[in-house]
Amino acid sequence: MSLSSTSSRRKKKTSNGVEFTAKEFKRQWILIVIAALYVIYGVVFNYLPLAGWIMAFQNYKYKTGVFGSKFVGLDKFKFLFSDAKFLQVIRNTFCMGALILIFSTITAIAFAILLNEIKNIMGKKLVQTISYLPHFLSWIVVCGIVSDTLSSTGIINELLTKFGILDKPFLFLGSKPAFWPIVVFTNLWKETGWNAIIYLAAITSIDPALYESASIDGAGRFQKMWYVTLPSIRPTIMILLLMNIGNVLNAGFELQYILGNGLVQSVSRTIDIYVLDWAINGRNMDFSLGTAAGIFKTAVSLVLIVGGNMLAKKTGDERLF
Amino acid sequence: MKKKLFAVVMASMMAVSALAACTDKNGTDTTAGTAAAPDTTNAEGEAVYSQEAILDMKMFAAMAGTEINSGNKIQELIAEKTGVRLKETWLTGQQAGEAIGAIIASGELPDLIDGGDGSVTLWENDLLVAWDPYLDMYPNLKEMYTDEEWDKFRMEDGHIYWANVFGNHYKGIDTSTGHNGEAFWIQVRVLEDAGYPTVETLDQYFELLDNYVEKYKTMPDGETPLIAYTALTDGWKYFCLENPPMFLDGYPNDGCCIVNVDDPANPVVVDYNTTDTAKMYFKKMNEEYAKGALDPDFATQSYDDYISMLSTGRVLGLCDQYWDFAYSLMGPFAQNLDSLDGGRLDALGCDYVPLGLTIEAGMDNQWHSYGDELNQSSGVAVTTSCPDPNLAFKFLSDVLEQDVHDLRFWGIEGEDYLVGDDGLYYRTEEMRQLWKDDDYKANHICSYSYCPQWLGISRDGKNAMMPSEQTSEFYAGLAEPLANCFKAYGAATYADMIGSLECDQYPWYPLWSWSNNLSNDTDGGIAWQKMGEVKHEWLPKIVMSNNFESDWNSYLAAYAECKPEDFLAEAQAEVDARLQTARDNGYEG
Repeated sequence: MSLSSTSSRRKKKTSNGVEFTAKEFKRQWILIVIAALYVIYGVVFNYLPLAGWIMAFQNYKYKTGVFGSKFVGLDKFKFLFSDAKFLQVIRNTFCMGALILIFSTITAIAFAILLNEIKNIMGKKLVQTISYLPHFLSWIVVCGIVSDTLSSTGIINELLTKFGILDKPFLFLGSKPAFWPIVVFTNLWKETGWNAIIYLAAITSIDPALYESASIDGAGRFQKMWYVTLPSIRPTIMILLLMNIGNVLNAGFELQYILGNGLVQSVSRTIDIYVLDWAINGRNMDFSLGTAAGIFKTAVSLVLIVGGNMLAKKTGDERLF
Repeated sequence: MKKKLFAVVMASMMAVSALAACTDKNGTDTTAGTAAAPDTTNAEGEAVYSQEAILDMKMFAAMAGTEINSGNKIQELIAEKTGVRLKETWLTGQQAGEAIGAIIASGELPDLIDGGDGSVTLWENDLLVAWDPYLDMYPNLKEMYTDEEWDKFRMEDGHIYWANVFGNHYKGIDTSTGHNGEAFWIQVRVLEDAGYPTVETLDQYFELLDNYVEKYKTMPDGETPLIAYTALTDGWKYFCLENPPMFLDGYPNDGCCIVNVDDPANPVVVDYNTTDTAKMYFKKMNEEYAKGALDPDFATQSYDDYISMLSTGRVLGLCDQYWDFAYSLMGPFAQNLDSLDGGRLDALGCDYVPLGLTIEAGMDNQWHSYGDELNQSSGVAVTTSCPDPNLAFKFLSDVLEQDVHDLRFWGIEGEDYLVGDDGLYYRTEEMRQLWKDDDYKANHICSYSYCPQWLGISRDGKNAMMPSEQTSEFYAGLAEPLANCFKAYGAATYADMIGSLECDQYPWYPLWSWSNNLSNDTDGGIAWQKMGEVKHEWLPKIVMSNNFESDWNSYLAAYAECKPEDFLAEAQAEVDARLQTARDNGYEG
């Protein structure tokens, strides 16, 4: 079932205006209990912890706790934005996040459409299974594979030198310009198969009659992809895109932390690594600064989501709220 | 969006721990707070603790290490004698500071801890128990240091919170055979092949390595290429690439700078990063890299990559501190390998010996420092989460008892060592092999290596506290090529191979015990952190540069922007302060 049909149905109901009466409550109490569980979950794990944000406005010390630490207003934020390194990690995080978002969306859609065109069921299942398996590998393992592949004696350098494209091995993991592409590619390798599943599901729910009539009108294979498949999954694409925009600043932690080294630190560090350095690292232990950086991240994510949603509203596309 | 923001997770952790401030989880599965008395006796009539009376404690050491298996034979024996079974855990890939920070944030502290460079943070947060009252109760602990030395461990509040356990010789009798510090190391087969030449300078060193690679090209299997040299640059261990200029100029390991003593009354702090020697050293590295002598992946390898590379025996030379690489190689080098037709790497001559190189021939060097180094910046500590600190201190004291100490480092008599007619302990070749075996280490050996320990001669006046310092054991334990090398150079110990100047240590030495604890609260501390980052990025780049001169200048410019002068001023103040304290205590100089 595609997301678009559920959301439009929900819309219809609310516009019909179901009144909240005792009778209605009695009729739906099981549904309400189930929903309430999720609300409680959200409140406990997503909203209550926001109380900890108070630390960002204090000079928090573990010894004195939330109640005994001194309030310092916006000092921590001032420090953050006067720290050249923080501006650098914002750039890194945003660029890597955006690249990952763009490329992973495009490849997942393309992969889903291509996979859908395979007529051999066995082959299709096989490709799909193999392609989403890397999703279940931990980043540690994936990074091990990447660094072996890209080392001076790894397969990439072996091939490049054998075919005479390079005369001596290139140190990929020590090269600043190569770092972001490596991060993006590694993400694609790991997640494309997994991300494609939802698009595949959307494609499956397209009415076959549309393809039939397109065929009768003389549409070829590529025209059917372009004029039938893509427009039909457009609402799914928009919803996922909007949801993922909020994740742009979650560009990653493990991958950059493990693959990063002294040579590329200025392009590899993300906000999460910066927070780790300042908040958790025993030498600094500045929880306040870490929280401030976290608040900044949340604020930007919120702006991105709301902005994206407004844009979607303007263009008349499917949107989150 | 299921992914919660990092900070929110952290905030929730804090909120929960603030709400539930009374929780006190520390993994000690005991309800009784006090130590039970031994309740049975063993065959020799000694009191032993029964299984029920033995308490489990946890210790975390902010160092890479290997956990031993539960049911470890010697661990159980020690538990019966002391009433405590200590579960040791180690760093797993992260840096010491991060691990300590995470432990503090989680609120789940082990009973005992060696916080490494996170030690001060633990103290600042009131998480450690002061040693002072217990020092008088447990003479074994008190005995570790003189009163003056203990005073160096005192924090600003006047109390002692930890004791360093390493490099301490019993009654001050130096029996050391090893060199635990830094050096340019070289495989003995390279020296052997060249007829044991005198090696004094970098040029001679690399010439030897390069010639050997030229001549043999691969390991005896004919496939694995030899690598002349590698340098570790992972995390804070990039000192392997970074600090040789300090030693090459003939200075000891102050770690963060050179202390020039041309005028002994007025020591002057000098930055070793920008000296002519530094430039010459990095230029040499750059040339060798261009020649292909350095491992092409040296700048991106992790510590694990480094150790696994060294374990193959294909790297002929490196600069590192002994403890950082040598212990991990003992097992692999003593293994019978199919690729060598059942031969062993140590028999092939892959063991490393240290060389005391200087920038010019004929200079004095201080790669090896004689006498015990006192590092007061970290050590074993008891945390406030420990339900029975008294028992913890009793345990730390008990493991210094001679019988327990022998169990930790020599093993079980009759099984791991034998006693000769002269009362000297010795091992058979078979026992020596077992002690290098990783499985045996996990199931049988329990050295509690971050608990208090002694070097030197044991209380019987004959045997060494550690087998590695027992002269007969030391020589018997050397593989033949290594023994030949020692013989050829007339060296009795590793330290003799280096031939360092034997001189008294200055009162400020080692200065790294100060710089390790610098925080961002001072300008010098901020400069120190920035300098580290700039060096970490630039030094490998310079080594790999195609245009050394211009990159060197760019590096110097980037380095100058970090304001190293702020750091140096604070280092100078620390040297002066330490000198003054020593003078107040009667030091003449």
